[in-house]
Amino acid sequence: MAANVSSDLIWQLTRTQNAYLVKRNSGGGSQFSRDPLNLQNKHSFKYAGYANTKAVGVQATENGGVAVITKKPSNPQQPAKNVVTVTYGPNASTRKIYKGVADKTAKNGYRADVREDAVARVSAIRRSQKAKKETPAQKPRGAKARKAEEKSE
Amino acid sequence: MASRPTVTIAGADGKPTGATYPLPAVFASPIRLDVVQQVHTGMAKNKRQPYAVSEKAGEQTSAESWGTGRAVARIPRVSGGGTHRAGQAAFGNQCRSGRMFAPTKVWRKWHQKVNVGQRRFATASALAASSVPSLLFARGHRVANVPEVPLVVDSKTFENSAVTKTKAAVALLQAVGAGADLVKVQKSRKMRAGKGKLRNRRFRQRRGPLVVYNPEVDGKDLVRAFRNIPGVETSSVFSLNLLQLAPGGHLGRFIVWSSAAFEALDKVYGTTTTASALKKDYLLPQNVVANADLARLINSSEIQSVLRAPKGEARTKRTNIQKKNPLRNKQVMLRLNPYAAAFSKEKLGQQTVESAKPERASKDFLNTLYEA
Repeated sequence: MAANVSSDLIWQLTRTQNAYLVKRNSGGGSQFSRDPLNLQNKHSFKYAGYANTKAVGVQATENGGVAVITKKPSNPQQPAKNVVTVTYGPNASTRKIYKGVADKTAKNGYRADVREDAVARVSAIRRSQKAKKETPAQKPRGAKARKAEEKSE
Repeated sequence: MASRPTVTIAGADGKPTGATYPLPAVFASPIRLDVVQQVHTGMAKNKRQPYAVSEKAGEQTSAESWGTGRAVARIPRVSGGGTHRAGQAAFGNQCRSGRMFAPTKVWRKWHQKVNVGQRRFATASALAASSVPSLLFARGHRVANVPEVPLVVDSKTFENSAVTKTKAAVALLQAVGAGADLVKVQKSRKMRAGKGKLRNRRFRQRRGPLVVYNPEVDGKDLVRAFRNIPGVETSSVFSLNLLQLAPGGHLGRFIVWSSAAFEALDKVYGTTTTASALKKDYLLPQNVVANADLARLINSSEIQSVLRAPKGEARTKRTNIQKKNPLRNKQVMLRLNPYAAAFSKEKLGQQTVESAKPERASKDFLNTLYEA
């Protein structure tokens, strides 16, 4: 990054408006972010993936897996080479994904402050990818149950 | 500046040609959103056309007030008879078919003068912002596949009017990684809300990349090639416009430079110490701080060495901030009321009152009480 720009400056420039920001009057005027590198979808400097040189994103993949995106701090001027994506397939064990994500975010001085959020996001995605259980057929009760019993006899 | 960073020049296929060029000094100018926004609001007003209501509207009757004594308001009333209009109030802004309040005039102050120094500052600022990928993302440009920002394409691509067809222009933009931004523009095309539809502003769409060329080297044929691609604009390096560099006053336009245009930037803007060759006595604005990285400044040994050590431990008990409820928290209760320990130990709170009935007052007492 050139000397005249920094993460803090970028955040100050884009805090009031940016392409990812979602503002709604409902919910007390809460502000969210659509940034793929935002772990909580929350509009804040800590989670703003575009502004920070080191950022982690966790996204669901189409085939039911999880993709973990991280930014390389070394070459901020080259967007095409700037992200590293690690994908876990749909059959990967959830605990192993947690371990991989936690190591990726917290080891080597990367972003220890967002480790918990990254793991929580993996967990939330995995939960959303589970097949929905069908509600069991209701048992007849009362008069209906008696009628059903008479018929079967 | 210790060592000026270099920018690789991409070929027509998007791969680096191997040639590099040092980053022009404009890209190190201060990024000042406030200056850009203010200049943008001023400049955006300079393309307006005057409009006004007709001078005569609402004033085309010979109405006169009836004066007092007729038990009606003293507003001018239409004279004559034989039609419903006669006797109706006229002229006033509150009247039906009256003139509007403060009718708009064509001689309103439509244009704004923006000082040339401020305009140049804003342009330099917007150019500097266009070299920051984060700001391009924040503006909404799809630049994830762009090999490098600022994106410089070799001028050989445009040589001998090689790019005259839109097909070639689109192929070039896709090769250098700007294809996603073109798709974004195409998908964003929406019908405009309101009357603008009738006024030749039928659709609204996002802005795509801005192609900056050097007319002396690249020629002007590429303008025709690019002009029908939705969202794409072209501009000569010698006449860069803030309205294109920061549309809506938002910094970070995605710019595709031709290498000749990129190399001309130092000639157009000069540096902070050498004056521009094309602008009279113009030096680029200087940064107020040499290092904008706040975290690095705070953690620098120069600042840390003069700070006093933090008081307390890493986690300090904030007794004065959080109020604890003594009825729920026994330790807090004991601090307030030392007797509470004995009180609860003896279970005084649970004891019933022992004496059943109050004793009757003695006869002597009553006699003395009622003695006359």
